[in-house]
Amino acid sequence: MLSSWDKWMSKKHKKGQICRVWLYLCGGKVKMEQNAHRFQDLDSQPGDPKWVDVIEKDLHRQFPFHEMFVARGGHGQQDLFRVLKAYSLYRPEEGYCQAQAPIAAVLLMHMPAEEAFWCLVQICEKYLPGYYSAGLEAIQLDGEILFALLKRVSPVAHRHLKKHKIDPILYMTEWFMCVFSRTLPWASVLRVWDMFFCEGVKIVFRVGLVLLKCMLGSQEKLKVCQGQYETMELLRAIEPRYMQEGFLIREILELPVSERDIEKEHLSQLRLWKESRGELRCKSPPRMHGARAIMAADPPSKQDLRQRPTITVEFPPSSKNTEEEKDKKKTNGQKTETSPPETANQHLLPQDQLLPGQPQPLLKDTPLQGSNQSLSSAEHDTYL
Amino acid sequence: MEAIWLYQFRLIVIGDSTVGKSCLIRRFTEGRFAQVSDPTVGVDFFSRLVEIEPGKRIKLQIWDTAGQERFRSITRAYYRNSVGGLLLFDITNRRSFQNVHEWLEEARSHVQPHSIVFLLVGHKCDLDAQRQVSQQEAEKLAAAYGMRYVETSARDAINVERAFTELTRDIFELVKRGDITIQEGWEGVKSGFVPNVVHSSEEVTKSDRRCLC
Repeated sequence: MLSSWDKWMSKKHKKGQICRVWLYLCGGKVKMEQNAHRFQDLDSQPGDPKWVDVIEKDLHRQFPFHEMFVARGGHGQQDLFRVLKAYSLYRPEEGYCQAQAPIAAVLLMHMPAEEAFWCLVQICEKYLPGYYSAGLEAIQLDGEILFALLKRVSPVAHRHLKKHKIDPILYMTEWFMCVFSRTLPWASVLRVWDMFFCEGVKIVFRVGLVLLKCMLGSQEKLKVCQGQYETMELLRAIEPRYMQEGFLIREILELPVSERDIEKEHLSQLRLWKESRGELRCKSPPRMHGARAIMAADPPSKQDLRQRPTITVEFPPSSKNTEEEKDKKKTNGQKTETSPPETANQHLLPQDQLLPGQPQPLLKDTPLQGSNQSLSSAEHDTYL
Repeated sequence: MEAIWLYQFRLIVIGDSTVGKSCLIRRFTEGRFAQVSDPTVGVDFFSRLVEIEPGKRIKLQIWDTAGQERFRSITRAYYRNSVGGLLLFDITNRRSFQNVHEWLEEARSHVQPHSIVFLLVGHKCDLDAQRQVSQQEAEKLAAAYGMRYVETSARDAINVERAFTELTRDIFELVKRGDITIQEGWEGVKSGFVPNVVHSSEEVTKSDRRCLC
């Protein structure tokens, strides 16, 4: 499958199939099976007026030019309401954060409401725990981690931002909380999200680092932005060529920042945080670095992964592809049997198997490749 | 060539979610009105030059903030370095008016040891038919807090210039009188490129420091 990815994609990967893959990768499918009828329950409840009020105000403000969300009160906006309201009921202590709306909207462009809901749950709890919680400590901490990693990736950019006292929170909040869905051109958003579902938050960090490095990484570029405002302006208007799919994906793949680097930096920044601001007020569950880690932590049964006929209409996200689903089922099944959980976190992208600019495989971790990947991840760790 | 300005003032724009903060700033800085505007996530910022007297230009750096309460932990870090602020409420949304007090408290508790010159703005005044807060009532509240009150509409470009210019003039007067001084490590007011002004403001800072020591 991997060796002829392009062919495989063009043949079997019709628009709308991404959704299935995202749902399976993030463990949303397993959650959905294990909590049958949960979404319907939540969906039938009225919701806390405190949250409903804010959600309703935001419905028409998400991707207003997308055909799905263009109509006030149209089916796109209705589904968006259902998903966000359901989440505010599912985690009443968290409620609703405005940055969740673009996330849910992107999911809804590719899947029905129930599936989008479980993907959102997985993003909020496994991929980006604490990002949307009261206090927003997790995102601020990741800002510090990003800045520390930048020191190694681009010392020039790091020095410049430090000199002009530009807090990471100023430029990375929207990038990270919306997983670049409001920043990058659409083709790149989809590619980044594919990789994000596979590999976890590492991808988000890498995109951020690539953009910072490209925009502020040389003395020449910095000559034209001598102040805080000028720098911020530059970061708000990133040159299109750096965000273009082919360029960006290659840069992301080549950037040697691993889960281990992020975890290491997380510990040091957490220590600094505690020294300066005291204990974290919001205790979030540990972050899961991608599909493998999630799968290893919560092994699905065959039952959980079985394909149910969901949509039968011949309309956008169709379900024509039962063959592909079977493939996936098989792969997923093998994964849990073969990958030992303790190494699951350390696998990197199989970079040597990818030519720059080629589509990123969505499911790349067959047992055979596992060994290759551990090798490459070891190399990366010594590199940094 | 960089436009020459006397001072740079940093302003912060606050108020409940969906009162129209980003739209008001866009109208002022870009001269256009967007029917739909993404909810602001975190903080954003804009700038524009304002001529308060012939030949006297002030550069405004305007910080836009997310209105949802959840983002306050991030936005509150930006009060400290602001010299002025626009506190917005939506005249068609009573609750946003009732929250004005809370916003002021929030700002005051995080601006120490400085203070912010606020202007109260009743926004969306083109929607007079749906008005839930009378002008009189808003003026009374503004007076109680020692603020000016202006009603604006980003859609119809009503009083947008006036709101920003009046606030800028008020701050300028305070700077001229020496009630607000330029301080190192504080971004609220910075002096610009006119040599004389740079000189005199530096003196102010120096004498100020001497007093503190």
